[in-house]
Amino acid sequence: MAAEAKTDQKVFSPPLQPIISLRGITKRFPGVIALDHIDMDIYPGTIHALLGENGAGKSTLVKILYGIYTPDEGGILINDKPVTITSPMDAMMHGIVMVSQSPQVIDRLTIAENLILSLKKYGYFATLGRISKEIRAVAKEFNVKLDPNTEVWKLSYTQKQIVEFIRAMLLGAKVILIDEALTYLPIEEKKRFYEFIKNFKEKGGTVILITHKIYEALEAADMITVLRRGKNVGTLTRQEADIDKVRRLMFGERSKEITYERLPPGNPSGELLEIKDLWVRGDFGEYAVQGVSLKVRRGEVFAIAGVAGNGQKELIQAVVRIRPYDRGKIVLEGVDLKDKSTYYLRVNGVGYIPDLPARYGVSIENTIIENIAVLPTYARGLINWEKIRSLALKLIKEFEIKTPSPDTPVKFLSGGNIMKVLVARELNTATKLLVAYNPTRALDEATAIKVRKIIKEKVRSQGVGALIASEDLDEIFQIADRIAVMNSGRIVGVFEAEKAKREEVEKLMVM
Amino acid sequence: MEFPISMLIVRRVKPLPYWVVPVLALAIGILVAIIILYGISGGQISPWDVLVSIGQGFLQPHLLAMTFILLSIVGVGLLVSFKGAIWNIGGEGQIYMGAMITVWVVLFSPIAMMPGLLGAFTMKITYLILAVILGGFWAFLSALPRAFLNLDEVPITLMMNYIAYYIVDILVRGPWHERKYGYLRTPTIPENSWFRTMVIRSNGHIFATTLSIELLIILIVVFIVAWFLLKYTTIGLYIKVLGNNPNLLRSSGINVKLIILLALTISGAIIGIVGAGYVAGITHNLSYPVEEKSAQYGYTGILVAWLSMLELIAVPVAAYIIAALYNAGINMQILGAGGAAVVNVFIGSILITYTALIMISEYKVRFIIKRRRG
Repeated sequence: MAAEAKTDQKVFSPPLQPIISLRGITKRFPGVIALDHIDMDIYPGTIHALLGENGAGKSTLVKILYGIYTPDEGGILINDKPVTITSPMDAMMHGIVMVSQSPQVIDRLTIAENLILSLKKYGYFATLGRISKEIRAVAKEFNVKLDPNTEVWKLSYTQKQIVEFIRAMLLGAKVILIDEALTYLPIEEKKRFYEFIKNFKEKGGTVILITHKIYEALEAADMITVLRRGKNVGTLTRQEADIDKVRRLMFGERSKEITYERLPPGNPSGELLEIKDLWVRGDFGEYAVQGVSLKVRRGEVFAIAGVAGNGQKELIQAVVRIRPYDRGKIVLEGVDLKDKSTYYLRVNGVGYIPDLPARYGVSIENTIIENIAVLPTYARGLINWEKIRSLALKLIKEFEIKTPSPDTPVKFLSGGNIMKVLVARELNTATKLLVAYNPTRALDEATAIKVRKIIKEKVRSQGVGALIASEDLDEIFQIADRIAVMNSGRIVGVFEAEKAKREEVEKLMVM
Repeated sequence: MEFPISMLIVRRVKPLPYWVVPVLALAIGILVAIIILYGISGGQISPWDVLVSIGQGFLQPHLLAMTFILLSIVGVGLLVSFKGAIWNIGGEGQIYMGAMITVWVVLFSPIAMMPGLLGAFTMKITYLILAVILGGFWAFLSALPRAFLNLDEVPITLMMNYIAYYIVDILVRGPWHERKYGYLRTPTIPENSWFRTMVIRSNGHIFATTLSIELLIILIVVFIVAWFLLKYTTIGLYIKVLGNNPNLLRSSGINVKLIILLALTISGAIIGIVGAGYVAGITHNLSYPVEEKSAQYGYTGILVAWLSMLELIAVPVAAYIIAALYNAGINMQILGAGGAAVVNVFIGSILITYTALIMISEYKVRFIIKRRRG
């Protein structure tokens, strides 16, 4: 086991026997090597972060551990014994449970009903009463409040993730795989989760934390392994790791481009978009947006900060006319949008980057060029595929999208590259206005910063106006010309970005 | 003791080439049909006879031409809606609406019974256009509740078949009833409105075929139109995206309801043509009760579309295979081995094998031999 020698054990000394060892794992997909002879050791009682930029192979590796893919070469040892894991069931039998980005729960059922369903399948017989008791016990142990008889649709995203963790506990998980499941949580809730998993660790559990966010790894992990282009480029203990070291491993040369300096300000000119006293209902009929008024000028980035679930999503969806609004006005260049459709906006130079790209922004079964041609901006009536293909090639180059060809179905790209396809298409569409919700959330640091630079450059040089809602304050402070804070459906403060203070913005967000 | 071999079902990373499943389904389906026929006939129908009939069935293009052409058109029509994950089970209704309007045009409309070549041409163009419109309209009626109330189109299109059958039944028993002999059928349509099948004369021999050049040309036109629609128009692209992620259409500003309406209407319009072809090329009248007399191309077409794996280019191939099996069934009847139901045995076996096998295009079965570790 020569690979062990890589880890420095001066300060933090893990037990000598790894619980999981990966040996020479290789996985090829049509046209790419996703994983190239990966060796890795994971020790019990540690939180081990697996870091890497978009398309580095993190998800592939986790899917192999969880039996969704099988490796082309190499294998897995658990407690030094070779094992064959070809399905999630096998993985669970070895005590490995995954918590994924999208919670696997049925909305109509209660928490207890959901858990009884998924647990019985693995030979775990229990009555609803008993399982409720066990849920309460686990919840108490981990210091969270959760009523097992709540229907799942009433839960927030975070609470659903907690349900997933509880399920993992009840399944007797020894190793929990967290695949970007924390990446999208608001900071406060994320911190609670860190406690949750640290608690699990102290009880002897092991966590593999997959993320493209460095700070997440630095905050929570004991060990950090960095993947780059399918190779393990280094494993560090938390004590050895610092942000620059990790960035260099993750991005190589590109790490120099990473900066959180404020981007050069825009050139605001005339008024582009005006929202007046807007009231929009959320998914359950409640008013998610309550009388929002704001103005976006040409040549500026107007950013909306806020904790997830304070009406930003509904506001953004109302602006692009995919969600109806009850009261108020949205005016684009003097035209009232009340009777205008999304189509009108699209053919008039409005770009839209939705949250959850795979769900709202792209069709993964279709090819890259088809995903571009679907916008009426690029094709109406007949499709000139040559034109679309050359645009696609240009965007692939500009955004460094990793794909064998523009005719590749989007499902063969990594999550980050899928997001790049979407962002590239929408930025190219936005000749007047860009409307976005968390535009860089699925992107790694270097790419996210690059996208922000491209957005800002477009705003500055072409006089495009941008309305961007984001839960990431780093992003907001880097890109915005003006910052509005949204809380409980209202705008509770607007700042000039130059003069805005982070503490003030944060205070208004959680007020 | 542990069994030393275990079977695993693993998700495929790369799907199988798309022809594997249909080819396997055909092979296994035919094998199953042979076993069934052997079993239920108490050994009367020998596997050899069945194989010979099937072999002959494939080698008689002149006999299966008509079925091939009509099934191809249905397959192309269904494919347009299936691409959008809109499951048009209403081919039968759309066919009978096309057939109904054809009979009306040539027997009862103001241009009915126009004599001569010019009359034939006028009548044919008229009933083809009206069959397209009526077939499309019939599908459009099913599309309305799908688009605006989000009701499942499968039961709706299916029920619309029966409404179409009964409308035709009412006409055949009532105002269109032929009075000469009193059978429950319409009068025979005038000969100049028929799609004539080719007769080949060589060395004093005469071969009858079921090939109609006019219908073949119609098939080619339909094929090119569908190909162009799916490949080069935004409507075609939107239908394909509709089948994968309607949310993308919404955020792109495309009217999803409109695309649902279009997918089903275009599908029905194409299939409506088959109604005209069926009356003018095969039956030359409509008779009661429709439900029993129907050749059920609307249902068999579903098999054609599925066997093509929704690839347009493969539709004629699938249609040829199914037409050949139809033909094989007829050959077996000639041999005295079984009745008309033989065809259904073939088609049913293939369809069910196909449904079972479609799983292997996404999953694979692996056997693992467990070695003892010392």
